[in-house]
Amino acid sequence: MSDLALHIPTDVVDGPTSLVFAAIAAILVGVSVVLARRNLDERLVPLAGLATAFIFAAQMLNFPVAAGVSGHLLGGALAAALLGPWLGALCVTVVIVIQALLFADGAVTALGLNVANMALIATFVSYAVLAVGLKVLPRTRWGLGVTVFVAAVVSVVAASAGFMLQFWIGGEEVGQSFGAMTTAILGTHTLIGIGEGVITAGAVTAVALARPDLVHALRGTPLAETASRTQKEHA
Amino acid sequence: MKTRKLVIAGLIVSAVLAGVVSLFASSSPDGLESVLLTGCDTVDGEIEGGACVLQAAGEHEIGGVFADYGMSFLDNEILGASLAGILGVVLTLAFATGFFWLLARGKRAPAEENA
Repeated sequence: MSDLALHIPTDVVDGPTSLVFAAIAAILVGVSVVLARRNLDERLVPLAGLATAFIFAAQMLNFPVAAGVSGHLLGGALAAALLGPWLGALCVTVVIVIQALLFADGAVTALGLNVANMALIATFVSYAVLAVGLKVLPRTRWGLGVTVFVAAVVSVVAASAGFMLQFWIGGEEVGQSFGAMTTAILGTHTLIGIGEGVITAGAVTAVALARPDLVHALRGTPLAETASRTQKEHA
Repeated sequence: MKTRKLVIAGLIVSAVLAGVVSLFASSSPDGLESVLLTGCDTVDGEIEGGACVLQAAGEHEIGGVFADYGMSFLDNEILGASLAGILGVVLTLAFATGFFWLLARGKRAPAEENA
């Protein structure tokens, strides 16, 4: 049991609840497939593949967040910022399916639960925060960095709240009350979210400065810094 | 940076993260697992007593030779963990690229969808 690791394991949330969430997740992944194709062209394919492989790798890197507690990147905010909500959700879904089928990480019966939380909730919530943040804050590297950081923190907390909803419906509390468990889950995931926020903000601003066209959230408009630089180059 | 260069650089970074850096990652239970373990006494990650949610958790349905990011057929655990990480990156890249390529291709030739 020591290496159970990461995602929701077998039998923590009951069968009917898992099945309902599997159905919801399947529908939303289907919707994502349809909508992702709108913006998908062959130029984007290798980048989306790379982003998926990177998220797989990053999910292996548990960093300490408190005494005896670790956390790892979920990748929803990164995927949403670089590839948009639909393609982004598909990237994280691929990672979670491979983890469950090949690496025994996250139960097969809990696939719907894990996909719902980490691939769908985290990515969609990130994208909503990104959309608002980039309207409100200046389009500089700092504006983008802060927006991505907040999006990542909120997305991880939202994903963990998704788990608590699933557990509230189909789980059985043992050794602690539901309230205590919720506080603990949201607390640890706020810390994990801060870690995710720092990593994601660093990664996304780096890509935005080098290749703003590869950051979906910027919608084709480069950051103020890169825009002025490009203008100078063209002058 | 050219896209091709960016993808190759990104892949090397991902392989190093999964194959090398992951060996130094924290082995403490993650945010979810630590809360599910609340109420239990653990020794070296094994539940020794008490009562917690995670006791209800069953074995993984498939398990398999790469379970928990290792290679059970290798005697060297560190080598197994490293190779499993790299294998994961390669398989994820292959599967994701293939899947997205099919999606992008289907869009360009919608007639093929029903074929």
